[in-house]
Amino acid sequence: MTAWVKGQAADADAAITAAADLLRGARAPVIAGLGAEVAALRAAFRLARALGASLDPAASPGLYADLGALAAGGAMTTTPAEAVGRADLVLVLGDGAAGAPILADLAASGPTRGRAAGAPRTLLSLASGQGADYAAGEAGLPAAIGLLRAHAAGRMAGDGPLADLAARLRAALYAVLLYDPAETGALGAEMLNGLARDLNETTRAFALPLSDPHQGRAIAQVAAWTTAQGPRVGFGRGFPEHDPWRFDAARQAAAGEADAALWLASLPCPRPAWLRALPGVALLGAAQGEPVTGGEADVVIAVGVPGESLGGALWHPRRAAIAWHPAAKPGALPSAAAVLGALHARLTPAQGQPVQERSASC
Amino acid sequence: MSVLTLRHAPPERLDLSGITPDRLAGLSEAEAARLPVGTSRLGLVLGDCFSLALDGGEELRLAGGSDRLDRVGEALAGGTITVEGDVGQRLGAGMRAGTIRVSGSAGPFAGTGAKGGLIAIAGDAGASAGGAVHGAMGGLDGATLVIGGRAGDRLGDRMRGGLIVAERAGDLAGARMVAGTLVAGTIGDHPGYGMRRGTVLVERHGALLPTFVETGTQDLVFLRLLAKALDALALDAVTLDPRFAALARAPLARRAGDLATLGKGELFTPLG
Repeated sequence: MTAWVKGQAADADAAITAAADLLRGARAPVIAGLGAEVAALRAAFRLARALGASLDPAASPGLYADLGALAAGGAMTTTPAEAVGRADLVLVLGDGAAGAPILADLAASGPTRGRAAGAPRTLLSLASGQGADYAAGEAGLPAAIGLLRAHAAGRMAGDGPLADLAARLRAALYAVLLYDPAETGALGAEMLNGLARDLNETTRAFALPLSDPHQGRAIAQVAAWTTAQGPRVGFGRGFPEHDPWRFDAARQAAAGEADAALWLASLPCPRPAWLRALPGVALLGAAQGEPVTGGEADVVIAVGVPGESLGGALWHPRRAAIAWHPAAKPGALPSAAAVLGALHARLTPAQGQPVQERSASC
Repeated sequence: MSVLTLRHAPPERLDLSGITPDRLAGLSEAEAARLPVGTSRLGLVLGDCFSLALDGGEELRLAGGSDRLDRVGEALAGGTITVEGDVGQRLGAGMRAGTIRVSGSAGPFAGTGAKGGLIAIAGDAGASAGGAVHGAMGGLDGATLVIGGRAGDRLGDRMRGGLIVAERAGDLAGARMVAGTLVAGTIGDHPGYGMRRGTVLVERHGALLPTFVETGTQDLVFLRLLAKALDALALDAVTLDPRFAALARAPLARRAGDLATLGKGELFTPLG
């Protein structure tokens, strides 16, 4: 194991002991980042329960934009594979979605299955950036989505550019609305799913949210099967409480509520500024070109990178599912799950009382 | 009047959802002091943070406030809670009747899901005052919420009924409104985003959405009733400026929206 305590190289046992000491006395520790494989995420939820900690993924802003829309009004979504196989019209909404890797595949192929099979495929864009087919306008993307929806549903008349785009969506056999929830926000994502719903009165149309690069979609699934709730959960009272506002780690740090942090990032994950202001433990994957130096937190433990130095279950954006990623080049560093397990064992006595759990709403 | 005196700044967020006059009525001070209010594994109880003086009556005063006092007056079914200071999130959440007065400011989601009664905040309110929490079907749902200072963004987000009066508010006031009435002085950009029904009446606003359309000037009975309701409220809530009732009686331009959704909402602003 490669580990550091206060910037000094330390052996594994000393680092685990220092990490346990740092977290043991905390009133409101946060476990954040969570850019990691499923085994590590599961270990993080178990540790949070033992510590009375709260969890907040780095992926939260985009993830909660979609979860908020889903919880408020439902979603009509499709998968990347279905979009490639069936879509005759793809509308790319926003600047964030314009660089999506799936666009190359969509541009290079046409629909081969379903009601649009054999038809040509059209790719259109609605964004603020130069070169967009339709301009989002000064009011911004969420307002443009609303205007597009008003035209698509026939509630607004007129012959502006978005009326033309709405007519093309209505005429499509299988339209796909590709977007980045972090850019549309929760209200924009809800409006976009409403647009898909309105279009389905007469044809087929589906939303396709881009998945974030920090395992947000996998975390949402692990959180759902572990606590039946979203990932911003706190175990302070011994049972999982879901509260996206209260357990926002950045807010907790700014308000002086959080008093210790454990940053979990076996995959590359940008570290927020607030992390350095708290006593902290960091489990970091030593990725290519981004070595772990030991100065990132009070206690730093280098861990294996899933899909590179060890195998792990990760979000697969093209399959839109959690999938096994074998080790490309097996390495010697321990898995984050193993480190969290050792930390958990150090923090909890073997004869601990079972946790009494009861239901809690958001 | 029962008095809870905050002895020191809370070391963590406190959940005061069970601390209402009717819940305290049957308890001795020693029993009430043992009510759990902590949100960490340390298990704080009421007596750890407050000195208690209970008389079993319908009035409860919190002497001293903090933005860490969450869910003050949640599910209140009657009586009065007065807070001398600030409160945290979800003030009066789901309350059904009674009165809550806060001399300071409130955190986010004040009055969420409140079905009846009056909430009066003398200072500012955080985001989504009278708005819905994550996944909830609605925000304010029949109660009256008066904000003397500035409300944050998304004032009245997805509110289902009742009346909000705020001096100022941020962007997206009345977003996703299902029903109810929102009256304010100056509000920010894009009021009524995704609004289905309901009424927004403001003195000034920022940028409007392209999906709100002018429908002319109309002499509506509703506005006269609203003016009377605001007159009556001004007697009740000390923080309410009488000019809001005058605003409802002024000549008003009406816009309908949000045509992105159902489009049965309305936005009134002074003519000219």
